[in-house]
Amino acid sequence: MAGKHETVLTEYLVSNQAVFYRLALSYLHDREDAMDAVQSAACKALEQAHQLREPGAVRTWFYRILVNECMDRLRARKRVVLIPPEALDAGSYEDPLPSDGSLARRVDALPPEIQTVIKLRFYEELSLAEIAEVTGWKLNTVKSRLYGGLKKLRVSMEGEER
Amino acid sequence: MNEEWKEAKREYESVQLPPELDARLRTGIAQGRKKSAFRRFVRRSGGTVAACLALLVVALNTNPAFAAAAAEVPVVGQLCQVLTVRSFDWEENGLVVHVHQPAIEDDSPLSQQINQEIQERVDAHVAEMEQIWKEYRESFLKTGGTEEEWNDRTMEVDVSYEIKSQSEERLSFVVTLSQNAFNYSQTQDFYNIDLKEYRNITLEELLGEGWVERCNQSIQEQIAQRQESESFDYYFPADQGGFTAVDENTSFYIRSDGVAVVVFPKYAIAAGAAGVQEFPIE
Repeated sequence: MAGKHETVLTEYLVSNQAVFYRLALSYLHDREDAMDAVQSAACKALEQAHQLREPGAVRTWFYRILVNECMDRLRARKRVVLIPPEALDAGSYEDPLPSDGSLARRVDALPPEIQTVIKLRFYEELSLAEIAEVTGWKLNTVKSRLYGGLKKLRVSMEGEER
Repeated sequence: MNEEWKEAKREYESVQLPPELDARLRTGIAQGRKKSAFRRFVRRSGGTVAACLALLVVALNTNPAFAAAAAEVPVVGQLCQVLTVRSFDWEENGLVVHVHQPAIEDDSPLSQQINQEIQERVDAHVAEMEQIWKEYRESFLKTGGTEEEWNDRTMEVDVSYEIKSQSEERLSFVVTLSQNAFNYSQTQDFYNIDLKEYRNITLEELLGEGWVERCNQSIQEQIAQRQESESFDYYFPADQGGFTAVDENTSFYIRSDGVAVVVFPKYAIAAGAAGVQEFPIE
């Protein structure tokens, strides 16, 4: 049984590696770090494959592992600062955000928790309930982070009122 | 979704994928599979394997006769192996990085500690070289060098390892960190591990009492031989930084026939042209 889960999981991971790398890179802004994060997340996923009850839920389940891995790395970095100066645009330590720069750049400058919600919602197109599942936060927390983030980004929420 | 978000998503998705991503992901999958297989094995055996291992450790530590008998148990040795945990090559602005980083695959505290140490050494080595290269590039461009001229410049940063010998009782391997920014330099870290008791092996236990004298004498003899067979003398005199004596910090590895080989890095006791100096202590 565990063997079947492993096969499903392996196929899923291999065919979606681009998605994982992009997500990791958008947190870590460093290709080596991003690949490290993807590699360890894959390792942890296989190691815990037996906990995956529902093969259909593999997507949210793996995002959870990957997002945690990236957040852990960000937290660890606070102790050892490795961010090259060019990756530090003013937005990452200034609030309110500068209104210049593309929307994608402004998203990357948000606090990590808010970034997570925005990216999962708009880039990965997860529902709010799925985001709650990935992050382990309450649905209301997810909502308030999403709306707070949108407000900071000063973009409209057309069609995102659910 | 509105246009602005579609544009942001396009930008987000335009990231270039590193060629080694697939290999890294598959390495992660393989590592996870191994760990999970081991876990299932432990679980299926109702924890008896873990219990046996615990008992084994206690018995090995308390009973020399049992420890000797355990040397015949093949599974203990087979559980341990050295494998490449990280392997990547990349190139950016003339900085060429090749890394083959080993780790010992088992859960003993010593192995974990060694793996951690290797990981830190490798990360620090690559980060340091990146920094040096970046600073060099910046000052090169600032002082009137052009991008075009820069293109001829490369630096190679390399991490590799070699298993010197491996048996069920012992493991000996070396990790080599090198770079050739301005001139080639390398550092070698030697690991000699007793797989029965999971501890570092010392020269003293390999060579017995009087190991310092034995090493010193053998090395001096070998230096004398080499001075004679070569037409000129690479070795520094003892009072000018040449060889004086070994101590517990002297590097060594264990050859496959069990002989300890003492190693001095390039420049340590002889001119750079002589390279790394190795002395088997037979």
